[in-house]
Amino acid sequence: MTNPPITIKVLLDQTDLKLSSLTGEIGLSKKVTNAETNRPGLALSGFIERFSNNRVQVVGETEMTYLRSLMVKERSQALSLVFEKNIPCLVITKNMELPSELVGIAKKNETTVLRTSLNTDAFLHSLVEYLEPIFAPKTTIHGALVDVYGVGLLFTGRSGIGKSEAALDLVERGHRLVADDVVTAYRMRQGVLMGTSNSVTQHFMEIRGVGIIDVTTMFGIRSIRMRKRIEVVVNLEDWKDHGDYERTALDDKTTNLLDTELSYVRIPINPGKNLTVISEVVALRHLLKGVGVNPAAALNQRLLDTMKETERTKNRREDYE
Amino acid sequence: MVSKVVFVKNKNGLHMRPAEVLVRLTSQFDSEITLSKDDIRINGKSILGVMSLAAENGSAITIEVAGSDEENAMKLLIEMFSKDLEV
Repeated sequence: MTNPPITIKVLLDQTDLKLSSLTGEIGLSKKVTNAETNRPGLALSGFIERFSNNRVQVVGETEMTYLRSLMVKERSQALSLVFEKNIPCLVITKNMELPSELVGIAKKNETTVLRTSLNTDAFLHSLVEYLEPIFAPKTTIHGALVDVYGVGLLFTGRSGIGKSEAALDLVERGHRLVADDVVTAYRMRQGVLMGTSNSVTQHFMEIRGVGIIDVTTMFGIRSIRMRKRIEVVVNLEDWKDHGDYERTALDDKTTNLLDTELSYVRIPINPGKNLTVISEVVALRHLLKGVGVNPAAALNQRLLDTMKETERTKNRREDYE
Repeated sequence: MVSKVVFVKNKNGLHMRPAEVLVRLTSQFDSEITLSKDDIRINGKSILGVMSLAAENGSAITIEVAGSDEENAMKLLIEMFSKDLEV
């Protein structure tokens, strides 16, 4: 589903942002086109070069103190300089009092001035938290996203290989389904990939032979999650006799989705293989990796130590002979 | 790879029944089939995927088929969309 455009009106309606308009209906149809913000201090002081005019402008105490220090004429000039650059809107934080010319200049440039009761830090945080998922690079993935022991496992593979069935079995064991079949992935700022379900199909699942089920009503609220970070991609593959499957995992394999590096595991599907327990092991291994434990490396170290000891003993024996 | 834009012909849009018929068709082919509407791309063999498009009557869907039987698959898909999807 395409997101509707984010107009200033839409921002105003976000109750978390605690905004009110000081310019009536003026400028409410202007659009926000990115999740960035800007403190226009430098621009207000006259340095207009590289002014980020396409971002929501946020005026805090610092900017306000500066504005109040100016004479009326200088202040009007400073504000006009900023408003004439076609900004989406300007937000005053902490319910501060406005300089009297501000509303007039804003209206002249058909731009909204909003005010929030939140303090600057809190507002910036809440605004970015709201805007980021909307403007983040997104894609839809054909797979199943499940939260297993707190690790986001994204099952991929051809249609019919058993992604949904794997997810269902994991739900049976107490893990949580985020999305089946249609996973919407979006990239957060810090190279974190989040996955969520499609708004229409949400937590419904198709089980071949059974049909459509609703995991939420069938298994309860604890069987689902609205969103989860995607951490490991588990690709289910048809078993190939001479398939090149991972044997040790001394080194981790990774794959790339939406410019984010993710751990990557390829599981061959064969009757008799318990995919559920394998999935749990994948998640647990990922958790252990997070605290610096690598079982392959640990085993290898034991092996190296044993061989070194044998060599040492052998050399010592040779000394006596 | 072959690609074509088709339009949904069903007064209720591409709901579950036509989606099932569509998916029964796409699942028969070896080729990979991708359907997209606006900025959502889904696997054409997935019924939930097709439904997630929420393709209303008259909306445009891009069909992409890639594989050994792509010509035949595309022909049959175009044929399906040319009729009223309500069966």
